[in-house]
Amino acid sequence: MEFVTQSLVIGLTENAPLILAAIGFALLYRLTGLINVAYSETITLGAYFGMWINTTYGLDFYAVLIPTGLLAGVLSVATYLALFRPAKQRHVGGLEMIIISFGLSIFLRHGLQFVFGYPERFYDVPPPDTIMVLGVGVTSFRLLALVAVAALSLLLYLFIQRSGYGLRIRALASDEALAQVSGIRPLVVTVMIWFIAGVAGGLAGAFYGVGASVSPLLGWRQFLLILMVALVGGSWGLGGVILVGVGTSVALAAMALQLEQVLYAQLVLIVAFVIVLKIRGSRRAETAKV
Amino acid sequence: MTLDWLDAFLITGLFEVVMVIGLALLLHLQLGLARIANFGVVGFWGIGMYVFGVLYVQVDWPFGEPWQFLACAAAATVVAGLAGLLVGWLVADLDTDGVLVGTLGFATAVQILATTQDDLTGGARGMGGLGFPYDIGRVKDNEFLWLVLVTAVVGAILLYVWRVHRSPYGRLLIAVGSNEPLARSLGKPTFRTKLWLFAVASAAMGFLGAMYGVMVRFLDVGNLGVGVTLAAMVGLVLGGTARVWGAVVGVVLTVGLFDIVIQSYLPLPREWYTQAIPVLREAAFGLTLMVVLLFRPLGLLGDMRRDRLMGKIHGR
Repeated sequence: MEFVTQSLVIGLTENAPLILAAIGFALLYRLTGLINVAYSETITLGAYFGMWINTTYGLDFYAVLIPTGLLAGVLSVATYLALFRPAKQRHVGGLEMIIISFGLSIFLRHGLQFVFGYPERFYDVPPPDTIMVLGVGVTSFRLLALVAVAALSLLLYLFIQRSGYGLRIRALASDEALAQVSGIRPLVVTVMIWFIAGVAGGLAGAFYGVGASVSPLLGWRQFLLILMVALVGGSWGLGGVILVGVGTSVALAAMALQLEQVLYAQLVLIVAFVIVLKIRGSRRAETAKV
Repeated sequence: MTLDWLDAFLITGLFEVVMVIGLALLLHLQLGLARIANFGVVGFWGIGMYVFGVLYVQVDWPFGEPWQFLACAAAATVVAGLAGLLVGWLVADLDTDGVLVGTLGFATAVQILATTQDDLTGGARGMGGLGFPYDIGRVKDNEFLWLVLVTAVVGAILLYVWRVHRSPYGRLLIAVGSNEPLARSLGKPTFRTKLWLFAVASAAMGFLGAMYGVMVRFLDVGNLGVGVTLAAMVGLVLGGTARVWGAVVGVVLTVGLFDIVIQSYLPLPREWYTQAIPVLREAAFGLTLMVVLLFRPLGLLGDMRRDRLMGKIHGR
């Protein structure tokens, strides 16, 4: 029982940023159809933005979150307007779009080192309080990350499923031409999607960064798991992403407690996700054959 | 023969260029012809390098050089080929997203295993003890001969790729890349074709990894990052994914510019070479990918000759 409680608490609090990032990524993927590899750099830059605001202006971590989310959202929109929108207008294919986003990811990851410097950076924050949850000690930052993920997930879910803008976003995703003749302005709605995804990625980055250190590979190290959670869970909508994200987080913690190396847990998950995608992909291929 | 005129940096720079040309040529078969985006090139190259290194260093072979090298390199090639077969089986019927996950996942798995199995691989500390399968004198002489050998291997890969372009198998790869359901409906074995493609390309990538291990003589998990895949991909995209010579032209213009011209000939401050130049190199590669695909998606050499010919015939 103690093992289950530990896995749940550690998994959910330590990997809450993973769920948040996966929600942002899945939103972008489901509604624009783009696998944006550069989303890993939205996460990384979120961590850098937070660290920069924190160390430059002396704001505490909680105050840093709002400008960090906004900056990451603006960056995300800027990449859409400067790169992905022109590429779409030039009818660049889906495969090439992924390679373009890969190029952007590499460019941002290395370009940011000329701005923020080469060494690892750290947030200037006092040691966080430790709070006991079900007998497991959790830092206040990690608990905040979990609360933020829960609140943002609920807000996003309500926004997409219940609001007028959410309806427009879903309409645009299912049929852009039809949505356009129905009076929906694709540019406004698409910009909104990129902004929301950017905010989610940036906040995830800030939570990752404050928990450890800020380095250029921060987002890239998480990207594969985020991608897999979004692809596997995304078939069942945002709820599916959250569920698969929660399951992945708890499984990671449980395996890390059992196995001698944390990296083995990632290895097992990579294999499991690829097998799930294989089974699902084969079924699709069989349907296509018919 | 004296090699005093030859700079040691130039030999390693040329080796890097030639090796990446080989990887880009193999990627050309996957990405350029069959339209399979293999983001895990470094995984197949790395598994070859590490299988070779572990067998070479950890096994007490009953025979000496060059048989020890040949046995280890053959095993590395077979293991990389089998890994390619497995990954190919996993991703062959998936869409581009699934291929991205499968190949990226494989590269990550190789990196994780190389890091965690430190009894065998040395883990984060790295693994030394590798050497050339011959000794003709100074280190520079040995390295130069190894450069000649890898050039011969990459020349053979170029010849193979050139022949594939003109063979029924090459036309089948192009058909799979253009319209797989149509190719399948015409009775073509598309799944098996992709499997074979993955196995052969991965085996050759693994062999190049083994040859790289000999050249550097020290295996470092830091080499298993995304840099190798990026170098091959940016060279291929810049030169032209659809053309055989695209990989050669593109890699010379990208990796050659940074690893030979800038490393050996530009009089830049010494401290720049430790961090600024490698970071600038990768940033420039990323920028090149974006700019080329946005403004000249077919790369410098453009479309395939046969497409141009068909265009002329049909008045396009």
